[in-house]
Amino acid sequence: MSKNTFGIARWVLAGVAIAVAVIFLLQQRQGDIDVSYGESPSSDYEEGESGELSDHTVPSTDEMVRQVQAEPVVRLPGASAKWNRQWLREHVDTAGVRLLFAPPGLDEQETERVLAVVEDDSIADAPFDLVTVTGTKVRGGPYTAAADDIDGFQRQFAAGDVTGLLAAVITGMRDAGDPPTAPGLTWREPTSAELGTVTADLERDRLHVADGATLSDVPGNAANAFPDTEPMIVALPQQDTGRPVPDYAPALAERFPDTPVVVLYGNYVDYAGPYRDQFYEVATAGVYGMLGDRISRYDYPQDNVLFAWLNKVTDIRYAGLFDRPLPYQPFDPLKVTLPALPFVFAACVLGVIVLSVTALRRRPSHGRPPTVRLAALSALSVEVSGLTTEASNPSLTRAITHLDAARERDGSAVGRRAAHNLLDKAEHELAETARLIERSDYEPRHYTAGWGV
Amino acid sequence: MIWLIGGLVLIGAGVVSAYLPRLRAHAARKRAAWATAKAAIAAAGVSRDACAADVPEARRLLAEAEALSGGPDAARTATELAERADRLWQEACDE
Repeated sequence: MSKNTFGIARWVLAGVAIAVAVIFLLQQRQGDIDVSYGESPSSDYEEGESGELSDHTVPSTDEMVRQVQAEPVVRLPGASAKWNRQWLREHVDTAGVRLLFAPPGLDEQETERVLAVVEDDSIADAPFDLVTVTGTKVRGGPYTAAADDIDGFQRQFAAGDVTGLLAAVITGMRDAGDPPTAPGLTWREPTSAELGTVTADLERDRLHVADGATLSDVPGNAANAFPDTEPMIVALPQQDTGRPVPDYAPALAERFPDTPVVVLYGNYVDYAGPYRDQFYEVATAGVYGMLGDRISRYDYPQDNVLFAWLNKVTDIRYAGLFDRPLPYQPFDPLKVTLPALPFVFAACVLGVIVLSVTALRRRPSHGRPPTVRLAALSALSVEVSGLTTEASNPSLTRAITHLDAARERDGSAVGRRAAHNLLDKAEHELAETARLIERSDYEPRHYTAGWGV
Repeated sequence: MIWLIGGLVLIGAGVVSAYLPRLRAHAARKRAAWATAKAAIAAAGVSRDACAADVPEARRLLAEAEALSGGPDAARTATELAERADRLWQEACDE
């Protein structure tokens, strides 16, 4: 029974060892090893590949210097930034400040030409301070202004309004303390006619692109940012500062409940819908904080801005906000156990070896031919036969029966083992005989010791 | 045709070469097991003859052992039965 169990355990262990070794070897990949010095897989970015350059250009530096010296405010063709001249005069000391407005989306040489105007000797020595505005990027002396709250982002990117930024740069240059806060955009309810046009488009293909907007299509990452419901997207052109802006997002969210509604005003992204409180300000501040510099200087299409904003929303979603369990990635048990397989294999081999050794460990004499034991025990039985009494006779007779049977076994492995088993029984009976005749010197253990058994 | 015959011969040779040693080993095991059983039955007979008392249970067991025939498993069963009968007779004698 136990011998059988040992045998089965040995085979099971050997099978497991082979299976483990095969699995381990099959998982060793060797094809994708690249033996060379690494080359960066990134592709060089060519300026203008994302459509951020505009068709506008600027005149030569000398020409711009001449214009700035001639007039206090120079607007180069294509310049789009707007500012509230009246408010600025009322709140900031603008005496001796000259403004140069350049169009957005200039390439590298054109940008350098604009920067060279400030450093031109005749401007540096002039009795006025020059503030340049490229797109909506405001620079003056060593100062650069950037919006840092939602109101500021709305003014700069939804309306192209740089009044607040101008105020910040000018007060900075004059060391005049904290700049005043410029008035924000004013909002109004959209009229039912406006809402009707947008709603009809959204119901048809969840996208509305107004005249003048530059969005071409829904970016591919929209499904990552809003996996539950496909978002509805409204793209509007840059707004006018002077007039109240129709506030589409809340109205559309009311019209389409539980649907993410994204409204683009120029390069500003507004949102209404599920989880707004949890991510909107973080995402918007993140996008314009990191990319505001480029978005303001260049003429990016709305596709790029929306793509960046949706990416940020996706990041926040995977950071664990949104009250929703993170998408769980079940681990691959094979990958996890792979490092342990060599040890499992070694343990199986060890087990097989131990069990094999246990199976081999029998009485050492049993491996040899039984002739010596047979001769010794036969001689003992002859010697004892003269001493036996009626009580001890049966055991001697039984011993002789076993000895006779052992003698007739052949020399094969099976026969040898059977002979040894019979001799064990004979030895047992002879020990009984020795005990009965009270002669411990005829104990087979002692008697056969001299025979080298 | 030659392939068929060759294949059959090959398979036949394989079967025979695998089966013959098995048969031989089985026969050897059977012989050895029956020799052990015969010795045990003979030893039980000795105990029976040496014992004055009659033990019906032992007699039944020995008769059963003597009646058995078959392969090595049957021989082992016979050996066990004979040894039990032997022990019963020896215990009956010792009392």
